[in-house]
Amino acid sequence: MLIELKDVNKTYNNGQPLHVLKGINLSIDSGEFVSIMGASGSGKSTLLNILGILDNYDTGEYHIDGRLIKNLTEKQAADYRNRMIGFIFQSFNLIGFKTAVENVELPLFYQGVNRHKRHELAMQYLDKLGLTDWAHHYPNEMSGGQKQRVAIARALITGPKILLADEPTGALDSKTSEEVMQLLSALNRDEGVTIIVVTHESGVANCTNKIVHIKDGIIGEIQDNRTHSASAFGTATIMK
Amino acid sequence: MKLDFDSFREIADALVRNKSRSLLTGFGVFWGIFMLLFMIGGGQGLKQMIGKNFEGFATNTSILVSSQTTKPWKGFKEGRYWNLTYTDVERLKMLMPDLETVTPCISTWGTKSEFGDNSYSGSFKGVYADYVNIEEPQMKYGRFINETDVLQERKVCVIGKRVYNNLFPDGGDPCGNFIKVGPAYYQVIGVDYSSGNVSVSGSADESIVAPLPVVQKILNRGSVVDLVCVTGRSGIRMTELEPRMRQIVARQHSFDPSDNQALFIINTEQMFSLIDNLFTGVNFLIWLVGLGTILAGVIGVSNIMMVTVKERTTEIGIRRAIGATPRDVLSQIIMESISLTLVAGSFGIVFAVQLLRLLETIVTANPDNAGASFQIGFWTAVVAALLLTLLGVIAGLAPASRAMAIKPVDAMRDE
Repeated sequence: MLIELKDVNKTYNNGQPLHVLKGINLSIDSGEFVSIMGASGSGKSTLLNILGILDNYDTGEYHIDGRLIKNLTEKQAADYRNRMIGFIFQSFNLIGFKTAVENVELPLFYQGVNRHKRHELAMQYLDKLGLTDWAHHYPNEMSGGQKQRVAIARALITGPKILLADEPTGALDSKTSEEVMQLLSALNRDEGVTIIVVTHESGVANCTNKIVHIKDGIIGEIQDNRTHSASAFGTATIMK
Repeated sequence: MKLDFDSFREIADALVRNKSRSLLTGFGVFWGIFMLLFMIGGGQGLKQMIGKNFEGFATNTSILVSSQTTKPWKGFKEGRYWNLTYTDVERLKMLMPDLETVTPCISTWGTKSEFGDNSYSGSFKGVYADYVNIEEPQMKYGRFINETDVLQERKVCVIGKRVYNNLFPDGGDPCGNFIKVGPAYYQVIGVDYSSGNVSVSGSADESIVAPLPVVQKILNRGSVVDLVCVTGRSGIRMTELEPRMRQIVARQHSFDPSDNQALFIINTEQMFSLIDNLFTGVNFLIWLVGLGTILAGVIGVSNIMMVTVKERTTEIGIRRAIGATPRDVLSQIIMESISLTLVAGSFGIVFAVQLLRLLETIVTANPDNAGASFQIGFWTAVVAALLLTLLGVIAGLAPASRAMAIKPVDAMRDE
């Protein structure tokens, strides 16, 4: 198993203690395309933060590729994030004063890869996502879909074990949403990238092969969706 | 810390993105370092200008001058006049082995000297050959009065710079020529070019100096001398010899040894230390004001970096999420802070150097101040640059620690 969560608990202590995750058990195998679905407040973002080593959990165990992720130093955490996990955010989170190619290079910069090599690699990934012509444009000169593709290139450049997408289509119209989801599916299908998508849209979840429902901090149903027939609103498009 | 060309470009980008803000913040540092260096240079130049006034004057010299008594003593009333004599010179020499030179001087003001059609009115001094120990002459031509001149009572003279320029406007070596001073003719044996403004009875450049016995007879002074100049052996503090000198002279002339008014003792050591103290004070103020201004500038930098970090929370969060370690973030902020301080400070250094050069050109255009150096030394500039780097680090510390505290989750929260 690539990802294994055993009885993970998380409580926020901001004044009133808030028990967000109440014993999460979840296994995800390499090459899976999974969505985690839940309403807002269900704890899915917290789960994503823990999966992405952006946040700590209180009790339980979290293994990536057999390695226990617990009580890491900031330096270790940064290193794991850099090498094992690629992030795709709802609001793209590109750095505004850097061009597309510079944004894509950034994770390699923190790995200490030399300038020439990382530029070359970044161009390769942009090319793969059809953005060669946009390499030297700033994020504010690009459309939402293009920005998200730059973000995907940035997430992929380090060759991560897991691609974590937090509401990847949240800021996109339905057409581009569909394009992005198709892109993710293709990455999963053709290159075997493990992808976990967190969403509250059933249409988006329907594009994935497995849907994990989370409700009030507990994992509910785990639905096999290889037929892509889970959408309540029909299977043809992503409904907005 | 990962440093390559892109790191520097990133720093440059960050500073250029907020041009006016960087400019205004940098100005504080610029002005601070400029003030400090400019004042250091200016103070040093001023000190040298004042120091030039003491040029050629022995630093452990005292000059004894007689005056009216102010205390009654041994049946004499106060307010009595008395005069220093050759006896005092001999007694001081004999009784005080710590004195290296004891030499008398007589002089008169407004003596007219003539050569051909040219004339000049200056002071006329009579000295012994050992007077060179008191006021060192800088001979442009010829020599100073020597022992033989004194013993044989030769009618020879050494003329000062201004006397020379007036009597011999065509220049050239005047030695051998006879000039008329007062009623008699003297042969010029030397020209003294020393220009210090501290001098005994008339500045050296407007004096005509002749052997003492000659002047004594011409002016009909008898055994009375105007001044007695003494220098101590090296390592002797003149201030400590003063009471003994007073005692010796007071005993001979029957006045109260504690009557400081009756015998003036002008001590150059005291004058020098006065000026030294003055400049110590001035330097202290320079550093206080200069460092204070720099510090204000640096606090400004720190402040603005704080704002920058706040503004860039999302960006820093993103960087952290994609693998920047806290140290990467720390070094980025510190480097930005150093760059801002150093770039602004370098302009300050350059501006101070240029302005000091201008000042030096203007001031030294006046020949009286020639040779005064206002420029700061190379190493002063290097130390200033190092200081700036250090201050940059200090200014960056607080903002950097705030930046390090930013959690990657904040990148997503802060939308």
